[in-house]
Amino acid sequence: MSCASFESNPNSKPDWKAYVLGELAPDASRQAEAHLAACSICHEEVATLRLTVDTLSTLREEEVPRRIAFVSDKVFEPRWWQRVFTPTFAAGALIAAAILVHGAVRPGQAQVEAAVTEAVSQVEARHRLEMQVLSDLVEQRDKQVANMYLSNAALVR
Amino acid sequence: MIFREVEDPDLIAKARRGDVEAYNLLVSRWEKRVFNYLLRLVSNREDAMDVSQEVFLKAYQSLPKLDDPARFSGWLFRIAHNEAFSLLRRRRPETELAGEPRPPELGPRMQPMELSLTVETALNRLSADQREAVLLKVYQGFKFDEMAEILECPVSTVKSRLYTALDLLKVTLAPMQKEILRGES
Repeated sequence: MSCASFESNPNSKPDWKAYVLGELAPDASRQAEAHLAACSICHEEVATLRLTVDTLSTLREEEVPRRIAFVSDKVFEPRWWQRVFTPTFAAGALIAAAILVHGAVRPGQAQVEAAVTEAVSQVEARHRLEMQVLSDLVEQRDKQVANMYLSNAALVR
Repeated sequence: MIFREVEDPDLIAKARRGDVEAYNLLVSRWEKRVFNYLLRLVSNREDAMDVSQEVFLKAYQSLPKLDDPARFSGWLFRIAHNEAFSLLRRRRPETELAGEPRPPELGPRMQPMELSLTVETALNRLSADQREAVLLKVYQGFKFDEMAEILECPVSTVKSRLYTALDLLKVTLAPMQKEILRGES
């Protein structure tokens, strides 16, 4: 059974579901209430809808089985130096330090050339000395051989 | 001194600056609502719990993208909606094989637990879209336009789903309603 008031213009019938769900604008809501007070058919329709919504509200709300939380405990938070001294940072710092030390202690070009000249002259001097010693040994042996020939010749004679 | 509870937008601002405790307080305010919405939608406690955690994690990661902190609730339920339907899509074949749940037998005087179970069964007989419309409106109290934003659809679609659901529920719950009325008289 439907309300005869809106048969000629069904679009003018209040949206009873929106009314029960609290979605009608204040003006429309007041008009709907005025009609409800005079119409038992619409009154029953609204009562049934309200009962359905009320029945739905008997559904028990469940407790959350376990708390949802994100770690923010200070114990687990890294200290400032732990945040700074990551492995990447440490490696970078080491390389930077090596570059700085190298830059600070690096000898000049003239010093390098002087050191090379010194090293070369030392090697040459050592070489000359070794050659002199060898030459003396050869000369000494030649003398010994000559003496040996002279001695042998005297014996033969 | 007047004690003023910290508002959600204040907590959101703090959380955006990396204050995890502020975010945990925000979570504690919303976790029950989100969990219950998901529980009714996915019909499984463990899944609802897992999805809830995922929702709050995603929300934390996406906080910088939240344009209007005053609309946090709709934004949060939008994330929950997306996560829930992602799960429902993944397990659809399994759900279809599960069969339709049976409502408990109606006794002379229904206990609150039985009432709750009957409503739960009636909700489970709706399609996921219809059930979600009821959950957002009746249990979470969102307005039609807010629901449209959460579900990313026109208000007319929201109303269509909700009104169809109410018509179906009216029929399904009719025996129970008579029981309640008999109990009251």
